[in-house]
Amino acid sequence: MTLRRLLLGLVFPVALLAAWEVSVRAGLLSEDVFSRISRIVPALLEGLADGTIVARTYETLAAALFGWAIAAAIGIPLGLVLGLVRPLERLTLVTIEALRPVPSAALIPIVLLIFGFSLELDATVAAFACLWPVLIVTTGAVRGIEPRLLEVGRALGYGALARIWHFALPAALPGIAVGLRVAFGIAIVVAVTVEIAANPRGLGYAMITAQQSLRAEVMYAYLFWIGLVGWLINVAMIRAERHWLRWYWAARGAA
Amino acid sequence: MAQPIFAFRDVSVRFGATPILDKVGFDVAPEEFLCLVGPSGCGKTTLLRVAAGLIRPQEGRAEFEGRAVAEPTPELAIVFQDYSRALLPWRTVAGNVELALEARGAPRAGRAAEVKRLLGIIGLADHAQKFPLQLSGGMQQRVQIARALAQRPRILLMDEPFGSLDAMTRQALQDEIARLCKAERQTVVFVTHDLEEAIYLGDRVVALEANPGRVVEIVEIALPRPRDQLTTREHPRFLEYRHRLFGHLAKKEAE
Repeated sequence: MTLRRLLLGLVFPVALLAAWEVSVRAGLLSEDVFSRISRIVPALLEGLADGTIVARTYETLAAALFGWAIAAAIGIPLGLVLGLVRPLERLTLVTIEALRPVPSAALIPIVLLIFGFSLELDATVAAFACLWPVLIVTTGAVRGIEPRLLEVGRALGYGALARIWHFALPAALPGIAVGLRVAFGIAIVVAVTVEIAANPRGLGYAMITAQQSLRAEVMYAYLFWIGLVGWLINVAMIRAERHWLRWYWAARGAA
Repeated sequence: MAQPIFAFRDVSVRFGATPILDKVGFDVAPEEFLCLVGPSGCGKTTLLRVAAGLIRPQEGRAEFEGRAVAEPTPELAIVFQDYSRALLPWRTVAGNVELALEARGAPRAGRAAEVKRLLGIIGLADHAQKFPLQLSGGMQQRVQIARALAQRPRILLMDEPFGSLDAMTRQALQDEIARLCKAERQTVVFVTHDLEEAIYLGDRVVALEANPGRVVEIVEIALPRPRDQLTTREHPRFLEYRHRLFGHLAKKEAE
């Protein structure tokens, strides 16, 4: 990205933040509700300096990562099997489509009974929410594999399992990678939601605590921080995709 | 004729109610370059897939050294026409060739040297680390041929391997494959719809007719080797064979 494009991209958010600051100072917006940038930024820096934000971030990210990994560990193998064995996909379609619309937050009361207030609570609900994009994208990616590739595997004498490992999985990987990236975004959103709604840990709980103690600037500091962390993770995952799937991008003329 | 290394014995294939091949039977001698020519729809590709063990005929069988070919074996290597789909895009040129070595369980230590030797033979020494999609069509087909040779097959099965290449590349590859197979005493079954290609390359040409596929004529090609793109194609016997076989193709295409 060129510097020029970066600067252009910053014009709108900077203008918005300036308008926010001016509106609060002019009394158009309530400072109790909206705080203002000149108080939010110091609150953010203070939280980072004294380690509280870092500690809360670690709690949320560890839970999100855990839940996401569970979803990947179930969703990728299951998606491979469903994508390769068409009758099995038809058999499970109704079950999957019935479970998928269940709001992940509806699981909170049940999972709370099982694990109590814990990392596992965040992680389990996040895993449920992440499972569907991973599963659906993997199934679709496997179904889209060039049949000739699998036939080459047969002709070379590879057995069924070896064909999955050497042919189906790598061929589906560009699709799976997109599913994993989308899922990680969902994992963070869900983890924070669970923390706001029920679980006394992590960034979500820190936000709700700040709100209840009438410290709007701290609440916004967390909000901005969550956005920043989510964005950075997304950028890192795109980088990783481009690196590990060089063959895919090289063929498409975008390195 | 010497003891056949391979034979089709009254092979009949139907797709549903449609007969594709009807009691096709002929032998392949060791070290022979046998070309199979016929109009589209004569089932020549299907016959080659039977030979490779990729499909089973409803009646009759393909025999390799007297044993029925029931499934793919490393002793029979197949080169597909659609090279871009038959290569693994995530593996480099060297990686694609090595795939066949892995499949036949070649010791890890010797693989790199073997890959290098094969890429040298087929004129790809400088492209080992490129991905297939970064190569031209002719180069990609060379990779597929190198991979087939890496199987150390007793019989090389080729399904219109040069059918989608431009004329110059096709002629260059024809000469290389002819020279290579004679030097290595490789038995080849070569499918093509191009009659002149069949006569140019073959020790014998088997002509099939279509709907359903049947053998109409088998011609010994008594043209001197090494063959030459100019003189061989101007040889009186070349023209004689062409006249003789042309009728079988033209007759069916006209209907």
